[in-house]
Amino acid sequence: MSNFVAELRDVHKSFGNTVVFCDVNFAIAERDTVSICGDSGSGKTTLINVLGLLEPPTSGRVIWESCEVTYTKMSRVARLRSKIFGYIFQQCNLIPELNVVENLMLPKRIAGEAGEADVDFVRQLLRQTQLTKFENRAVSTLSGGERQKVAAIRAMVNRPRVIVADEPTGNLDEKSANLVMDAIVGLCNSCGSALLLITHNKRFAEKMQTSYVLTNMRLRRME
Amino acid sequence: MKWYAYFAWKQLFPTGRKLSFFSAMSIFGVALGVTVLFVVQSVMDGFQHNIRRAIVETQGDVRVESQDVECQGLIHGTDNLVSFLMNFPDVAAVAKYAYGITMLKCGGRTAFPMVKGIDVENEPKVVDLLKFVKHGSLEGLDCGGIALSSDLAVKIGAAVGSRVEIYSPLMVENSIDGDVILPKTLEVTMIFETGHHNTGRNTVFIAIDTLQDFYNIGDGIHGIALKVKPGVPTEKVAFALNQSLRYPLVAASWQEMNRDFLFALRMEKTMMFFVLVFILLISAFSIAGSMLISVIRKTREIGLISAIGGTVIGCSMCFFLQGAIIGIIGSTIGIIFATTVLCFRNVIVYSFAKLCGVEDFMLRFYSFANMPARYGVGDIFSTMAFAITLCCLAAVVPAIKVARINAAEALRSE
Ligand SMILES: Nc1ncnc2c1ncn2[C@@H]1O[C@H](COP(=O)(O)OP(=O)(O)OP(=O)(O)O)[C@@H](O)[C@H]1O
Ligand SMILES: [Mg+2]
Repeated sequence: MSNFVAELRDVHKSFGNTVVFCDVNFAIAERDTVSICGDSGSGKTTLINVLGLLEPPTSGRVIWESCEVTYTKMSRVARLRSKIFGYIFQQCNLIPELNVVENLMLPKRIAGEAGEADVDFVRQLLRQTQLTKFENRAVSTLSGGERQKVAAIRAMVNRPRVIVADEPTGNLDEKSANLVMDAIVGLCNSCGSALLLITHNKRFAEKMQTSYVLTNMRLRRME
Repeated sequence: MKWYAYFAWKQLFPTGRKLSFFSAMSIFGVALGVTVLFVVQSVMDGFQHNIRRAIVETQGDVRVESQDVECQGLIHGTDNLVSFLMNFPDVAAVAKYAYGITMLKCGGRTAFPMVKGIDVENEPKVVDLLKFVKHGSLEGLDCGGIALSSDLAVKIGAAVGSRVEIYSPLMVENSIDGDVILPKTLEVTMIFETGHHNTGRNTVFIAIDTLQDFYNIGDGIHGIALKVKPGVPTEKVAFALNQSLRYPLVAASWQEMNRDFLFALRMEKTMMFFVLVFILLISAFSIAGSMLISVIRKTREIGLISAIGGTVIGCSMCFFLQGAIIGIIGSTIGIIFATTVLCFRNVIVYSFAKLCGVEDFMLRFYSFANMPARYGVGDIFSTMAFAITLCCLAAVVPAIKVARINAAEALRSE
């Protein structure tokens, strides 16, 4: 038995005739920190989408917690996904109609299990990232860095096994990028989640235990 | 609360802002449609009800008349017929009547009303005549009095106690033969007002014997009005009567006698409904349009929700519920508006009329002194249900569009 949280085996993905990647074997274990680098358009986002089954692979198998889920029903996948993956995107995708706490409680609401304990947990994470004062602010009044930190907390709310961050610092300057990255790593450590980071930033990539590069339609491990 | 219900609510009423512009406009549109629809339907219903009541109150439930043209529809020797009708099942009261056209003169002013000879004792049992008495009393008719409608009284300048001259068409016929009949002088003993100008505005009442005498028709009458026992359908009694009556006698219920008119009334209401439904349809279309735009604007958010565990069906449900919420709130506000408007309808109508300087137009054009309106809880619910259904239908299109969104593509969208 492996203790991998999520795995891709011999995965091939193409859009029509365009092959994005092929023969990808990839796994992320508990508390692992992994980075994936690659040129723009090399298929990094597609790779994590396939890993989270937001998009089906053209061939190959997707395995979550030792169970194959490649052909599982969408509603079940949606439920499982929220337990296993927490997503942070480049554009942070906070819901503008909700304030900070409401945004943070949204994953719990969707899972149908929002309770007092979760509000406390959210408050604790806000404290950890020095965002307590923004608790009831409208998201449109936050700076880019602050928003990204809020998005990081939201990814954490369901205590997922893996945080998948797709270029979370892409829109930020050096200083706030560092702050946001520290916040993400800090949150992952305190909650015991693995981190799968997609980044163009070499420095951030080197901090991870394992690094991969996606080039020429292949995923290669960097030693 | 399901997350999509919460999300739908928040889309319409975002935290921190009171109301989104889209929801305000949509809700207002629906409310306006519901208000207009409900007010107009209630007023139409009120008119219909009043007119029907006015007909029953002035014509009686069922009438038995003769179809024999030769003797001008006159029925002679009616004692047996009257007692037969009195004892007929479900008949509560009967009253004979006869009528004609006359010329009325008071001072120098004349009018050409319809004169109706009534059975003073029994008429009030058949129609609600006493309800309409404004001045004087009905009993005076028996001693050669005459009852005028208030309109007519004003027109010829008569009041209770005035003496009016009444001319019969017989005078013309007889004067050709060389005889001269003098007009009859009668004292006005009663003035009545039905409030409905078609029924009774140009009518005078005298006792039936006076009329028979005046028109020289012996014991002839034009018909017998019947009152049916409460709760018994008038059509049923009319039908049963026709089974036992022989030609030329025919019984007709008030519905039958006014069938075309009643049909026109119903038709008018239905037509109004169809015209006004377009207001609601337009607001439904604009809701659908705005929601489609919002689906496109929110594609990324929909992708995000899929990524954090929501299903696309849930997102689709969220848009559908937005339509439902707009429908529920809009129609509730609409009903509140409408009932308020209906409550103050006379104030509104009169201040409007005053503004335009046509204060008596209600009575002149619509026959009623006050604007009628009639609605029940059932009307409220059916109007609301109708509006809510339309809004839900409007939301179906955006909801279907959401259901077709692919999560990964949504996340890529700009
Ligand atoms: N739905 C689609 N249909 C066709 N081609 C697609 C589709 N989605 C992605 N692609 C293509 O797949 C390739 C990989 O895209 P992807 O977004 O995964 O790249 P990426 O490595 O994340 O790039 P970036 O660093 O700029 O985010 C691109 O060439 C893109 O054009
Ligand atoms: Mg990408």
